Amino acid sequence: MKEGEEKFGQIYFAVLGVVALAFGVAELIASAGEGFTWGILDSSGASDPMFLPWKAIILLAAGLFYLSSVNNFAEVHQLAKAVMASIMIWIVAGMAIWARIASSIPGEETWFNNLEGFLASYAPPYCPEMFLLLFSLVIVYYILKEE
Amino acid sequence: MPLSVDARWDLIDKISKQTVEFGARKHTLKDAIAELTVKPLTGIPVAIAVIYGFWSFFCDFAGTLFTDGFMVRLFDEHWLPWLQSVFPGGLKNPFYALMVDAGHIEGGVLVASDNCFEAFGVLTSGFFVVFGVVLWAVLAFYLMFAILEDAGYLPRLAVLVDTVLHKIGLHGYAIVPTFLSLGCNVPGVTATRPLETRKQRFMMMTLLAIFVPCGAQIGIMQDLVPEMMGWIFLTLAIGYLGFGFILNKIVPGKSPELIMDVPPYQMPTLRNIVRKLWIRTSRFLIVAVPFVLLGSIIVGLMYLTGAMDWLAAVLGPLLMGWFGVPSETVAPLIAGFLRKDLAVGILGGLMEQGIMTTFQVFTSVILLCIYFPCLATFALMLKEENGKEILGSLASLVAMVFVYGGLIHLVGIMLGVA
Amino acid sequence: MKILLMGHPNVGKSVFFNRLTGAKVLESNYPGTTVDFMKGWMRLEGEDVELIDVPGAFSLEPKDRAEEVAVKMLAENKDSVIVCVLDASKIERGLYLALEIIEKGYPAVVALNMWDVAEDKNIRIDVEKLERILGVPVVPTTAISGEGFKELVSKIKEAAPVKIEKIIESAGGRESAAVS
Repeated sequence: MKEGEEKFGQIYFAVLGVVALAFGVAELIASAGEGFTWGILDSSGASDPMFLPWKAIILLAAGLFYLSSVNNFAEVHQLAKAVMASIMIWIVAGMAIWARIASSIPGEETWFNNLEGFLASYAPPYCPEMFLLLFSLVIVYYILKEE
Repeated sequence: MPLSVDARWDLIDKISKQTVEFGARKHTLKDAIAELTVKPLTGIPVAIAVIYGFWSFFCDFAGTLFTDGFMVRLFDEHWLPWLQSVFPGGLKNPFYALMVDAGHIEGGVLVASDNCFEAFGVLTSGFFVVFGVVLWAVLAFYLMFAILEDAGYLPRLAVLVDTVLHKIGLHGYAIVPTFLSLGCNVPGVTATRPLETRKQRFMMMTLLAIFVPCGAQIGIMQDLVPEMMGWIFLTLAIGYLGFGFILNKIVPGKSPELIMDVPPYQMPTLRNIVRKLWIRTSRFLIVAVPFVLLGSIIVGLMYLTGAMDWLAAVLGPLLMGWFGVPSETVAPLIAGFLRKDLAVGILGGLMEQGIMTTFQVFTSVILLCIYFPCLATFALMLKEENGKEILGSLASLVAMVFVYGGLIHLVGIMLGVA
Repeated sequence: MKILLMGHPNVGKSVFFNRLTGAKVLESNYPGTTVDFMKGWMRLEGEDVELIDVPGAFSLEPKDRAEEVAVKMLAENKDSVIVCVLDASKIERGLYLALEIIEKGYPAVVALNMWDVAEDKNIRIDVEKLERILGVPVVPTTAISGEGFKELVSKIKEAAPVKIEKIIESAGGRESAAVS
């Protein structure tokens, strides 16, 4: 890993770590109360209230993993923490996407959903982990670089 | 002749020059990640994420997509009305009641059921439980299980929980039969074979049979009482750990560690996953289908002959007094001897009739889990344990049901919800 | 037969012990001392075998109470197999103890523990060659993740006493050892 890449990774994942922590805290608060929707960000856990606190814990842990990876980022054990944090976000976000897929296929009145309803299932607002997913993909570059 | 200190160091120097090399290999990213998953501080959050993924996938695959998405419609809107229209006999015909729809009393009149939970017929409720709900739950479970198993995560999870489980006299390996039992108790009991001593196997089998609900049961509980699942699992986990602790103290014998192979992480192959999925799911169907159908017939016959009402009257005071559940729960309890999923399904029918409070539903669901293993599991235990152990299992079973069931009732009374 | 677990302090011996034994572990006090040691059972080919976690010792020439106890325990259990737990990243120091034990005529198995740490420090050990020279089974292990334990247990029965002269010979002879 080049020095510039290391520097970038440090700053990038420090920021992402803080954001993940913030989202985790937000979801934890949301899970205690009614939850909230803010623009295209949805933290209401409307579909599965039972999952919300667990999601919050995982995001918090991922945030901490990112932050603890920043120091000496190029070292393989440190990098591994950032990779693990990303994998945890992929699991949570992957399941959020899977939940949308699962509910988009069957229709309300018909066997299969019509195109309109199908697409509507994927409309915003999105839950926090989906945003994190997008930004966590940067880690793939570092994984490929390492191997 | 012993060497002098110097001679020994000389020898060591010679040996190490020939065998030790510096700077040959660095830790790879994979090694570093493997390390993170077994160290408690990082391993526990990772385990939470993995179990979260497991459970989410399970709920959305089995619940949202198949059962709620397609199967409920298929069975309630097509299969049930079609059978009601073409099956010979009618609402008051015993054979019709047994096979299709027993109906229920509404305002003093016997009316036809409008969903497969309430119908209580072999072809309706029985088929719905197996093919509408449980099959998908089991499929989802085994898919995720096979992936975790082949990727190499399971042995690491076992290593991670080893320390905790040591406290109740079990080992990290116990997580494997326990996890497997969450799919079906039958392979779970089989997976106790690698345990070294009879004590360990006895403990493990007893705990599995009592406190670990199978995927079929979980699937149908998730369908009926999704909001209660957290409490149900918590209650069962407390029972599992608590009674594990007690059993470890009173059962004589040793419990040596089971030493596991911890293979490196690897990408699961599709071929292997599909093969495992096919074997496990088909085995499940072979075990489940006959028992569910038999169970529906027995429960149906007991209703028709009045045996169920008689049993409800006899056992009612005990059920109400000790466990705090209405006498109607006799029917699911009877069915539970054969299949837990069917039993929960029958309970669902009772719930829809609105004769139970929320807490009674909760207690009944827990009771159904713990009061007796399903027939297939019990038959396997008969094969695996000797006579004395079977008696021991049964005795601990009875003791646990009464103590734990009563305890839950007591907690409910103290909280003012029972 | 008994198995004694011996090694330096801080080579992960207690984690090692926990990985090998069951939940029923007895912590006892060596008579007449304040030195504690652990005792448990492990399963070896269908038999219960007692496993003793001997207090950590640097050598068999005792310099403190713990080492005294270690030497006494070794002397009291003539018929046992010794599992020498070495820190793979500091193999020379560990080998000293291992050689002392082998010299006394005990059948031994060498566990190169903390293998992950050694790998991490870019230390590579030729296990097969070490095994050939020492004439006893050598197994890399990582106690924390449980890696290598299956192999270690399967090798315990292969442990046999080895003459020190034989080791010197396979390491290249006494003279050349003195020269280098």
